[in-house]
Amino acid sequence: MTKLDRIDKTILNRIQSNFPISPRPYQDIAFELHLDEDDVIERVGRLKENGIIRRIGGNFVPGKLGFVSTLCAGHVPEDIIDHFTSVVNTYPGVTHNYLRDNHYNIWFTFIAPSEEIIDHYLTEISKKTGVTAILNLPATKVYKIRAHFDL
Amino acid sequence: MLDIAHALRVEKTMLTDLQKKIIAAIQGDLPVTQRPYLEIAEKLGVDEETVLAELKTLCDQGIIRRFGATLRHQKSGFTSNAMIAWRVDEARIDAAGKEAARFKQVSHCYRRNPAPDWPYNLYTMVHAGDEAACRKIAEQISKKTGVIDYAILFSRKELKKTSMRYFQDAD
Repeated sequence: MTKLDRIDKTILNRIQSNFPISPRPYQDIAFELHLDEDDVIERVGRLKENGIIRRIGGNFVPGKLGFVSTLCAGHVPEDIIDHFTSVVNTYPGVTHNYLRDNHYNIWFTFIAPSEEIIDHYLTEISKKTGVTAILNLPATKVYKIRAHFDL
Repeated sequence: MLDIAHALRVEKTMLTDLQKKIIAAIQGDLPVTQRPYLEIAEKLGVDEETVLAELKTLCDQGIIRRFGATLRHQKSGFTSNAMIAWRVDEARIDAAGKEAARFKQVSHCYRRNPAPDWPYNLYTMVHAGDEAACRKIAEQISKKTGVIDYAILFSRKELKKTSMRYFQDAD
């Protein structure tokens, strides 16, 4: 794990949401945190280089853009996990995929323009891999979405 | 088939071509420079002011849920991540969902329909320093919500993690 100093943590806590939408965002952040603009830019650049920051940008509500999203889970035999994963991961709408310790062991999120398209893709995945036990679990209520980690 | 947008009470927003281009431009990674929005504006052939105004509108309309840095939490000390699936009495699900959501270690909390061989209907993502800490949080949530039937699914391997690319053709 990369060592983060107090200033790194302060910056990371500040920029995970409400990143300034202004001509000089890093100057605004620097002003708020009593730092120097160049110093903030240098640190953020470094935090990206060493992989702490994956990206800086927008995160959207799929439904508002006319898309649907769901969580899927496959019961995949050990010996074809690699194959199943490579098939599933080719779909651009599969944004997250995890191996988990359960009977349903491969869990992936799927975003697509419609429910029908997701059903079609899941059928396609079953045909290509022979895995027929795939759960399709769209969210029907959201109680929390947070991606802010207090450091 | 369940209409998710309806179920989540999310109305699809009509977007202009410029909005789609801006969405396509900020779904990746903003340059870490003094004037990141100016760079985007120049690429799109519009004023920086226009980009800023459109971005603010996208935030105000709730189309952008969160604007900022996404961290690799494993690298920032949250090394264990578990999905906890709960089987909750439907009459109690809103109360349980809200109670679980109040835990700061819970990053996501959703209701999903159960399936024939999968009885769970409430899902929480939990992040902590190690597995024991995740289990402890599960126990605390169980105590708080009164839900005793649950499965902890630890993540053993990250197989893909990326951001959705919307309106690629609008670029």
